[in-house]
Amino acid sequence: MRILVLGADGFVGKRALAALAATDWATPVAGGRRECDKGVIERIVLDATDQAAVAKAVDRVDAVVNCIAGDNRAVINNAKALAAAGSGKRIVHLSSMAVYGSATGTIDEAAPLLADNGAYAAAKAQAERHLAGVAQLVILRPGCIYGPHSAQWTQRIADLLIAHRIGDLGAGGDGYSNLVHVDDVATAILSALRFPGAAGQAFNLAMPDAPDWNGYFLALARALGAVPIRRLPEWRLKIETRLIAAPLRIAASGSHRLPPPIPPSLARLWRQDIRLSSARASSMLAMRWTSLDEGIAGSAAWYSGRPRNDA
Amino acid sequence: MDATEFPHASALSARVCIVGAGPVGISLALALAESGVDVLLLEAGGAHADATSQAFYQGTVADAAMHSPLDEYRERRLGGSTTIWGGRCMPFDPIDFEARDWIPNSGWPIGPEALAPYYAPANQLCEAGSFAYTIASAFDGPMKPMIEGFEGSDFSTDTLERFSCPTDFGERYRERLTQARTLRLVLNAAVTEVDLDADGSIVTGLAVRTAAGASFTVMADQIVLAMGGLEIPRLLLASRRVQPNGIGNRHGVLGRYYMCHIAGTMGLFRALGGSDAVWHGYDVADDGSYCRRRLALRPETQRTQKLGNFVARLHHPRIADSHHQTAVLSALYLGRVLVPKQYRKRLQDADPDGLAGTLRHLGNVARDPVGVARFAQAMLVGRKLAARKYPSIVVRPRNGTFSLDFHAEQEPNWQSRVLLGEERDPWGMPRLEADWRYSRGDVTTVQGAMALLAADIKRSGCGTFDYDPNVVEEEMTRYGAYPGHHIGTARMGGDPRHSVVDADCRVHDVSNLHLAGASVFPTSSQANPTLTAVALALRLADRLKVIVA
Repeated sequence: MRILVLGADGFVGKRALAALAATDWATPVAGGRRECDKGVIERIVLDATDQAAVAKAVDRVDAVVNCIAGDNRAVINNAKALAAAGSGKRIVHLSSMAVYGSATGTIDEAAPLLADNGAYAAAKAQAERHLAGVAQLVILRPGCIYGPHSAQWTQRIADLLIAHRIGDLGAGGDGYSNLVHVDDVATAILSALRFPGAAGQAFNLAMPDAPDWNGYFLALARALGAVPIRRLPEWRLKIETRLIAAPLRIAASGSHRLPPPIPPSLARLWRQDIRLSSARASSMLAMRWTSLDEGIAGSAAWYSGRPRNDA
Repeated sequence: MDATEFPHASALSARVCIVGAGPVGISLALALAESGVDVLLLEAGGAHADATSQAFYQGTVADAAMHSPLDEYRERRLGGSTTIWGGRCMPFDPIDFEARDWIPNSGWPIGPEALAPYYAPANQLCEAGSFAYTIASAFDGPMKPMIEGFEGSDFSTDTLERFSCPTDFGERYRERLTQARTLRLVLNAAVTEVDLDADGSIVTGLAVRTAAGASFTVMADQIVLAMGGLEIPRLLLASRRVQPNGIGNRHGVLGRYYMCHIAGTMGLFRALGGSDAVWHGYDVADDGSYCRRRLALRPETQRTQKLGNFVARLHHPRIADSHHQTAVLSALYLGRVLVPKQYRKRLQDADPDGLAGTLRHLGNVARDPVGVARFAQAMLVGRKLAARKYPSIVVRPRNGTFSLDFHAEQEPNWQSRVLLGEERDPWGMPRLEADWRYSRGDVTTVQGAMALLAADIKRSGCGTFDYDPNVVEEEMTRYGAYPGHHIGTARMGGDPRHSVVDADCRVHDVSNLHLAGASVFPTSSQANPTLTAVALALRLADRLKVIVA
């Protein structure tokens, strides 16, 4: 079974590719913008927002895993292109919990796609809508994907913890983290490709009993040796989001060496009381979730041993 | 919601109504709302301190030297007394739950295992870090011993007290309270009477007055009073329409067995190795919380010596006495008017040496002004500006001497009580009168523990401990009852003749009325009550979830 992974050079794409390569039933095909000299995996160089190129690539495979990230326009155009390719082949599309927007409480897959908190959420929701007509579509909506090579939820958090810019945030870290290990996302992708009943379904992906953000920060800080953590007053985070984030972001576009910003959207997420229910994935995709201890140990080991400027 | 905006004579209803939005009421409300239970949380005060509201707490005390005024050390507002607390947390010890034949009226109808599942989440709500109360469980590496060379056969030094930020539950959890879909928080809503049906077996409603004076009623399937150890007996005693002695007071137990704690500072410990041989300060846990070791009277010794529970901390020598030669302490003494009122009490002693002493204090400060400045800076950064505050003043005395700060269990005593006084508040509710008493057994506990500690120190050869056994009673009552701990006034028990609530915190004979907080504790332990009160509230939440399901 030939499986095309679009966005094969991204964080989830790479992991999905490796997971597929490790099976005895899949032949992964990497779809990416760049030529890549090394590696045994077949590669199709394409622009995943180009309808003709996508259609041509989809023709050559049996199924597609869509891990396109990047800017919001690309996310939308990629979804359009994929929908137009309309192959009747299975497409596993990586969406995001962001589509639920500012919703609070326990959220299952039937919850409305509010997508009311930012352009990224809107783009992800729009992408889902463009793909809605695809017959063999499976949508995965992961929470915050952490683990080795996670720039957002492992590396950035670790950087901030080591700099003591976050720690115990009090009410600012009361939100439920909805963490999901990258290996679990890869496992879910494999199941979503194989399980016939998954077609037409969406699946939330988040470990059950994920900690709140304060709990995650403490556990990761412990694993990194960045303890004791400090209780930060609310004004500290306000200074971060209101005064430091914007200039840091502008400055960081020119350099990788600058510390990560804490944009207001991130601070909002840390206090948002939203719990993804992943009961459906647990039962239909037979997920067995990586425990937090295991996930954090692996994350910390990767972080400590990684080469600098690993993106 | 603010009750002052409610129309007169309106009515509210809910599955569960909790009266009092202090640490106990808030914890209980959050736990219930998390399970989707429809909860109404009433708070008599508003969101902030307000003198008019606070004045409703005024009452009388039988002996002003023995008990602080009733409108002090407790707060009538959202967050309750956590708006002013020090944040000291520790669980009760297993022995505290036992019926001990040497402590009259001791014994809980539940054991430590009943509370065990609730302590860790309670600790989290209190923000006192992880639930680890021994040095070995809280810290990885070997720690500097509390007193070098101390080997106590009657005292241990490996248990901890941990500190909350100190967390103001109102401020900390306000967002969660307002976000919870099935929870309504109503401020400025004071319950003035609990109404029963004709045979007194069920609560039919609550009479509530708003801060503006309007009245309304609340109907709920289950009622929980969580107003603290003084307001609970006051409200129940004042609700006399059906039960002439007050609700839950068929046998006259309500308001009796009133306990605080027995505390004081006395004695002089001189460490053989000087100040360097002693670690009496705080250790910081991974989670950032402050932990402190103390000398704890071992449970085996309590049993063999027939004593109550007792702990002690090493404290800097008496501040007023300039002979400590310690610049920071002298600076504190000279600048004592700047210290917050609740902490100033112990700085009020007159300098034993008068003017000469004052000059010596000035001399102490002059000797180490840099140390004083450094201390002031540490206090500013670590305490005033910090979100997690350094819990108390810890000063390393120059001459290697320490005083002993003790905190002891007070026995439940029928004579010690709160009752309704003659005066009334603006809503016509009788004000409270506190007649706190200590007993011979309390003196015996402190005397016995002091003697055993002196013997332990002597045997260990780590220093000397001198105290005057003849002034123990005087010292332990110098400031009267330990303020702010209001315990035992509606005690828990299996026998309605000797208790107010059953093992599930339900008032005997009233099927839908529950009490939460330290008022239901049958005994007081050495431990500060808040953590256990919150744990017990979480246990009650589980019970109520079953009842309303």
